[in-house]
Amino acid sequence: MAKEQLTAPKTQENLKIWIMDNLPLVIVAVFSLILFILVYLRGGPPQIFNILVTGAMWALLATGLALVFGVMNIPHFAHGESFMIGAFVGYFVFNPLNQYLYDNPNSLLQVVAPILAILAAGVVGALMGILIEKMIFAPLRHRTKKGWVMNAFLLTVGISFVLTNGTNLVLGPNFRGIPRFYDVDALQLWGAYIAVDRIMAAGIAIVTISLLWFFLQRTKTGRAIRAVSQDETGAQLVGIDLDFIQTLTFSLATAMAAISGASLLFMFQAYPTVGVTPLYFSWYVVMLAGLGNVAGAIVGGFIVALLQSSTQMFIGLSWQSVVPTVVMILVLVIAPSGIFGSEVKGVQEQ
Amino acid sequence: MLEIKNLDSGYEFLQVLWGVSLYVDDGEFVALIGPNGAGKSTTLRTIAGLIESKGGEIIFNGKSITKKSAHIISRMGISYVSEALNLFTDMSVRENLLLGAYAVKERGVQLETLDYIFELFPRLQERRDQLAGTMSGGERKMLAIARGMMSNPTLMLVDEPSLGLQPNLTYDVFDALLQLRDQGVTILLVEQNVNATLDITDRAYILEQGKIVMEGPSKEVKSDEHVRNAYLGI
Repeated sequence: MAKEQLTAPKTQENLKIWIMDNLPLVIVAVFSLILFILVYLRGGPPQIFNILVTGAMWALLATGLALVFGVMNIPHFAHGESFMIGAFVGYFVFNPLNQYLYDNPNSLLQVVAPILAILAAGVVGALMGILIEKMIFAPLRHRTKKGWVMNAFLLTVGISFVLTNGTNLVLGPNFRGIPRFYDVDALQLWGAYIAVDRIMAAGIAIVTISLLWFFLQRTKTGRAIRAVSQDETGAQLVGIDLDFIQTLTFSLATAMAAISGASLLFMFQAYPTVGVTPLYFSWYVVMLAGLGNVAGAIVGGFIVALLQSSTQMFIGLSWQSVVPTVVMILVLVIAPSGIFGSEVKGVQEQ
Repeated sequence: MLEIKNLDSGYEFLQVLWGVSLYVDDGEFVALIGPNGAGKSTTLRTIAGLIESKGGEIIFNGKSITKKSAHIISRMGISYVSEALNLFTDMSVRENLLLGAYAVKERGVQLETLDYIFELFPRLQERRDQLAGTMSGGERKMLAIARGMMSNPTLMLVDEPSLGLQPNLTYDVFDALLQLRDQGVTILLVEQNVNATLDITDRAYILEQGKIVMEGPSKEVKSDEHVRNAYLGI
């Protein structure tokens, strides 16, 4: 009896300690919950679904960033250009298919065409990732690891310039968009009308993230990727080929960004600088969650989307980038390693 | 099994090893001892491929592994248990062990070795789902050695297993190494605990300032005047 009385306050004490240890996380969680309820009361289900779509996309982009930083210690600022390439590939695959469908209606192809375009973007993204890693990062890594984070950062900025201006040179600054992927009426869900394109985009993001999660947690190669992010030397000692894992990781991240670029084609259109907004928002997500924290990036994606749409709703559309930026500054001041407190190994050592 | 000829090695502007030659025969338990900074760890790290040698040759089972990268050397059957352990701290004990068998293709063989390891280290079986980073120092050493064994290596390079351990745990680790030796695994051990090391090993090399200054059966080395004065404090 006396023992039970002792344990009860102890769990309360533990909870208190846990809250104090994870104060930034608790604050963000409580704040997000309040915002979520407010958005729901004001906007109803369509707004919630909007957050789900945008959040899933930010999560898809940010997991790529988190992977690249966690495994390769590259602060990737050309991630938006992977998004841009994906958007262009999506456009150039979907548009001819769509034209063809005008002349020869075919219900099966109509359903499959957007998926084909998005898959093509994923494949091109993966190949581009391999090419960039093999041509740029691998040679640098083999030459020296001194000042790696800074050098890699500058390289990604350079890649971003080259890709943006290269695309501008070849394809011109024109906007290439599509009105919609699926030319059908919006679906009625929970008393609200939601475009099929949005449902598809959210579905693709969620499926891709789940596949990635399964790959990282359950397969041998996925386990090797996590091993490299935790201890490079240890990974080499058990026989993991660092070059292979790093090329694979970069390729996966690029493919995921390209997939989100193609699946958001109906929202963003394709033009050379389309990647800037997605890049900033995915960086907000990884800064909020903690650099290199893949699980945190998924949750963070939805939090940033929530911030974004509640700003649109309560303050005004033009403030939608300002408020997340202010929140990021606060996060950096209060919890520099993110609300989930990720600890990236190897950065300090280099 | 392992033969090193005139090995020069070190870091960018600092050469640590100067013409080190040594050999380890099949099934032997060999010690490499010496004072701090003599280059013991550098020797092991160079064999494991973590440091590129500056000269000389390393031959393993008749093949030169001098300039090979670490993961290839590991796949050839050399397992290096480093001083820093290099465990995957955010993964469970089981995942760490399975990664130790990364180069083993057949899943069945992996699981068989895992069962065998758990039999050898019951403590690790108890903690199979615990994160490696949350274990005590002694358990982490055990895990590092066990992970090194998961690839069924023919040669194990073990770097200072007793470092930072209380004496009774040190003997646990040494027991594990002796069991390994009895399984027919060849071991090259680097240790600071000279007295105990010379009791359990077959042969010993003394490394001072990057050069081998003495070699011989452990018993002879232990009775040597210089060793008794410098390392055993007798």
